[in-house]
Amino acid sequence: MGLLRRVSEAGIEFVVVGGFAGIVHGCNYVTQDIDICCVFAPDSLLALQEALADVHPVHRMTPGRKPLALTAESAAEFENLYLDTDLGRLDCLSTIEGLGDFAQVKQASELFEVEGLRLGVLTLEALIQSKQALNRPRDREMLRQLQALRELRRNEAN
Amino acid sequence: MEPAKKRVEAIDPVQAAADYGIDIAQLRDNLALTVAERLRRHQIALNTVEKLRTAKRL
Repeated sequence: MGLLRRVSEAGIEFVVVGGFAGIVHGCNYVTQDIDICCVFAPDSLLALQEALADVHPVHRMTPGRKPLALTAESAAEFENLYLDTDLGRLDCLSTIEGLGDFAQVKQASELFEVEGLRLGVLTLEALIQSKQALNRPRDREMLRQLQALRELRRNEAN
Repeated sequence: MEPAKKRVEAIDPVQAAADYGIDIAQLRDNLALTVAERLRRHQIALNTVEKLRTAKRL
């Protein structure tokens, strides 16, 4: 939660997506990274960089794991940021497969309050939609869990 | 003559998940928790995984 709190307190609007959103909805796997969808405007990314500065963010998918060192110019070049920090991994995505950009992802989210933090999280239905659109072998178990959770919820409601 | 229509049987997602090896009882238990409790339990599990990952072989 430390990473999400920092991003939130920096005033960056985001929606929790991916595996961590699955945990919110009740999935039973363990995931080491937090995926968020946010606006990739330079101001927003520079604010993110500042919020994470003391937890040593690096680009985890680049050779040599280069430190995050954005400028107003370079920030405009990114569509996604895959970061590792002292508090864990944080993947920032500008679009989500099957849903679209941040505005569309936000439309498909719901709010939760956890430890005083208001979190926008992709709805179960939208999460299923995005995983179906990705159609990656590694997402199959998650997709089956999500579909089962949806059915269990429906059964509970009836 | 009309082509034979393929019969599509509805698949129960809970049964499909169980057949895949997913523990449905755990999913039911998770649904009974608050979101904060789900995240807290996940963090405990993640901490354990991290400790095991860095454990020394004896």
